Amino acid sequence: MGLIQMIKILFFGIVADKLGKRSTDVQAGQTIAALIDKVGCADIQPLLVAVNQEQTHDMDYVLQDGDEVALMPLFSGG
Amino acid sequence: MRKAIRIQKEDFSLEEEVNALRQASQRIGGVTTFLGCARDFSEGRDVFSIHFEQYAGMAEKAMQALADEAQAKFDVMDIRMVHRVTTVHAGDQIVLIVVGAEHRKSAFEACEWLIDSLKQRVPIWKKELTPTGESWVTSHP
Repeated sequence: MGLIQMIKILFFGIVADKLGKRSTDVQAGQTIAALIDKVGCADIQPLLVAVNQEQTHDMDYVLQDGDEVALMPLFSGG
Repeated sequence: MRKAIRIQKEDFSLEEEVNALRQASQRIGGVTTFLGCARDFSEGRDVFSIHFEQYAGMAEKAMQALADEAQAKFDVMDIRMVHRVTTVHAGDQIVLIVVGAEHRKSAFEACEWLIDSLKQRVPIWKKELTPTGESWVTSHP
């Protein structure tokens, strides 16, 4: 039996405030949609997602070992 | 010379950035700048300070991607972009965009496109400290 592969999930802005943490670890092999439900931020809309520092809209993407995922509110720089 | 596209905590000098850009080429005939500053009033209430947060790594990469896209999209010669990520107060400088082109029209157009795109595509967030507490800013005025 292989090692369970874990992925780091990063939270920013109001997402981090709502969850009370800035990161967590989850198992690889689940979709981004499942991840959003699991961490409890499905009610934050719009919610932006980045995988390996690239924004994605593919909620069916299956998280791979070594991925870095960010769950983010709308940007407000400038 | 400092990196043309960067995120930093410390303040920046508009004059130094413009001069650095002008040194890139003597064919530059027009330079436009956008300087974003902190206001003491927003959404109908006082603002004591603004705290910026970034997705380190992705934010600077996204700014570089915008500069590359602007180079391809507009007839410009050089671009510099600096964004501060720290806590600022009224009047403080936040972001600077400098565009150099042979002619003014493309320099103006690229500068406006860059700041509009930065607000939508660069993972930086601001939280305002107001008399009623802290609140994250979610709009792109």
